[in-house]
Amino acid sequence: MKNERLNQRMIKTGFLQWAWLFAVCFLLLNSGCVKVEYSKIDDPAYLRVFNNLNYIQTLGSKDNKVPFFCMLINPVLDANGIPTSAEIVGDFLDQRDAYAPPYPSHIGTSTSVNNPEYPGKENVLVGPILNGFDLSSWAQVPSGKMRIMFAYRPKNTVPFFQLENQLKKDILIDTVLNLTSKEVYTLHVLQKDFVTKRTGLLLRQEIFQKLPLSDSLTYVNFYNMSAKGYWEADKSLKAQDYLMASFQGGMKDEMNVFLSLYEDQSILSARAATIPGFKGKYIANVKLNTAISDVNPYVSFPVWASNTGNGITTNMWQRFDFFVPGMDVSNNPFYEASTDNGGNWVSVNCLQNGKVKMTSNDNAAILPNLLVNIHSGVNNPKTFATVNTIEVVNGRVYLTTIQRKYAPPIY
Amino acid sequence: MKKLNNVKDSKPVLHIGKMLFALAMALQLLFITGCKHDDLSVALPNENIRPAADFVKNNYEMRLFYAALKKTGYTEQLNGAGPFTVFAPTDEAFNRLGIYSTADFDKMNVDSLKKIIGYHILPRKLMVNDMPSNGVDIRYATLSGSELYLSRAAFNPSGGEVNELYIDGVEVIRKDVVVANGVLHLIDNVMKPNFNKTVQQWLAEHADYSVFVKGLKKFNLWDQLATGETFTIFAPNNQALENVGITEASLNTLETGKYIGDRLFGAYILYGRHFFISDSQVFSLINSNGVYNYFLKKDSYYMNFGGGKLYPEFKLGYSLTLRSGNTVSDVILNSVTSNLTAKNDNLCSNGIVHHLISGLVRPEQAIKK
Repeated sequence: MKNERLNQRMIKTGFLQWAWLFAVCFLLLNSGCVKVEYSKIDDPAYLRVFNNLNYIQTLGSKDNKVPFFCMLINPVLDANGIPTSAEIVGDFLDQRDAYAPPYPSHIGTSTSVNNPEYPGKENVLVGPILNGFDLSSWAQVPSGKMRIMFAYRPKNTVPFFQLENQLKKDILIDTVLNLTSKEVYTLHVLQKDFVTKRTGLLLRQEIFQKLPLSDSLTYVNFYNMSAKGYWEADKSLKAQDYLMASFQGGMKDEMNVFLSLYEDQSILSARAATIPGFKGKYIANVKLNTAISDVNPYVSFPVWASNTGNGITTNMWQRFDFFVPGMDVSNNPFYEASTDNGGNWVSVNCLQNGKVKMTSNDNAAILPNLLVNIHSGVNNPKTFATVNTIEVVNGRVYLTTIQRKYAPPIY
Repeated sequence: MKKLNNVKDSKPVLHIGKMLFALAMALQLLFITGCKHDDLSVALPNENIRPAADFVKNNYEMRLFYAALKKTGYTEQLNGAGPFTVFAPTDEAFNRLGIYSTADFDKMNVDSLKKIIGYHILPRKLMVNDMPSNGVDIRYATLSGSELYLSRAAFNPSGGEVNELYIDGVEVIRKDVVVANGVLHLIDNVMKPNFNKTVQQWLAEHADYSVFVKGLKKFNLWDQLATGETFTIFAPNNQALENVGITEASLNTLETGKYIGDRLFGAYILYGRHFFISDSQVFSLINSNGVYNYFLKKDSYYMNFGGGKLYPEFKLGYSLTLRSGNTVSDVILNSVTSNLTAKNDNLCSNGIVHHLISGLVRPEQAIKK
């Protein structure tokens, strides 16, 4: 008994000491507090910006102006017309990446300030989850009329407003946009004419968040936002980028798109087994358009088309062949690895992370798989249906993937 | 037994409590004592490093550069506060221009010499790490006011590090020599800025290109060289043109109507481009392609331009190959490799003039059909 009481007292003093320790910690922590002012935008619209003007560094193009921009929304100009500040600044806006992922993963995986899209790496307020779609790649901007400017800037790491004044004068685009509250927009900086080098903007009001889309179908739509006259132009005027394979020379103004679904993305061959019913299936027609901002219709294919899929994950991948009307996979006159087809046939393989090389003879550019395979819940990986946009701009092809909010992984 | 066990169990609690308390106290003691830095000592900077001009003076590889600095009155400024970046040509570099002794500077116009020497000095400290990796034609203001062009090949995107640096087409052979008021880089040739001079003025002033100039005039290619367009000119001197059968006398008798001027003399003009020879070397390092191919203006003939470090001296040179077209079956008319590094890279206000050691086109190869 005596021992027990002693024991209890000892435990009590132990608690007392703990209490002291907590009190000290509490004091220390409390004295370090600051008041945080959260920024807030009333009636926001959601905006994502891509710079489709591209460049490569070669001997022949070294004297060309590099399309590397600072985007300024509602800029304040001084007496000489030089921007001194802006409501929203998207600095270091570089040419867009081939893949625009559903989440702004650039933030975690990059050490460069160069931003492949806006908001991208910018630390700004982003969109909410609308109809299940996570809009964290869209920035909140004030709705209504706003002035938007794209200013050329040197390719370095000095923030725009710290540059010398003479470097802040070169404005590519200065225009006014009208955005509606709570709507989702993508804005493209484009070259509209390859001969005159005229550039401009294309503001597209997206509708995917308003559509009744199934989560067992993958949706994709296509745009050809090439400059007028690109595919007709002489080869020597086009940037040579062997990774773009058949897309290098551009494609004709009207093309039909054919879909092939392949069973297994670990087999890097376009001759590998396709899923029955999905070999060179016509899905869409795409016309050159840099003027009208309509959303092209979404077409879909089932996520579980393959018998090897188990309802949790599937290994299938996609290939899109773009043929000039009248031509299709069955009467294709070109050799399978032919990349210089006069714009009559271009193709793109969508598999793995888009950073692989096919082992078979092939003329396709390579982009990531439209289906997102990722650790979610207890399943690693789990396959998710997505909503995609494939955009062809001059000699390049881009994929934007939008994904629904999904359950976090359980380890 | 149970009680005993209890007693034993309670001991660790006591221990932990005491230990934590002691630790908390010790931590606070550390916090308080950690703020005192009374006897912190900082290493004194080395005071024996010389300022830029003294460094040049004491370095026997740069005697001629020092003489030039002295003649143009830059020594005092370069020993001053700074910061400076000095691109110092070696004595050998001056020798290549025909300057062998300090007395040779006396024959020169001091004002023009001062402008050229000032062009070799930047009013800032620019170490290699401050220059953008794989930056091509990065411009920096010099003491003369006009800008120099700097290209740094730092890495190849497909793997491999390289580390070459060129300013105005001249290779930097020793980088980042720290001096008290800045930094010094040793360069292999003297830079050749011509400030406000156009390529036309440059060619007109150099008598050894007189036949080339006469040919350009005869075929109406001369006047364009004074405009604001950009040109890279591979200028053959009189001897070089004689190699392909063109002399002053033969030009007088040449009937312009019979020949394609854009081939006979236009072959030496690259329009709309601004190439130092080193650019070709830089691009072959950073994207494995230092060749530039182009059709001659208003002609179906096709030229391959490529530069690099030539065997066996490994100094920059270039070659031009003229073909009758751009397919494999087209014949090569002529191929010239030009290796007089010191005479290349004459930077003018509207382009660059390089020296070409041999002509490319014989008159009979440019007859109109």
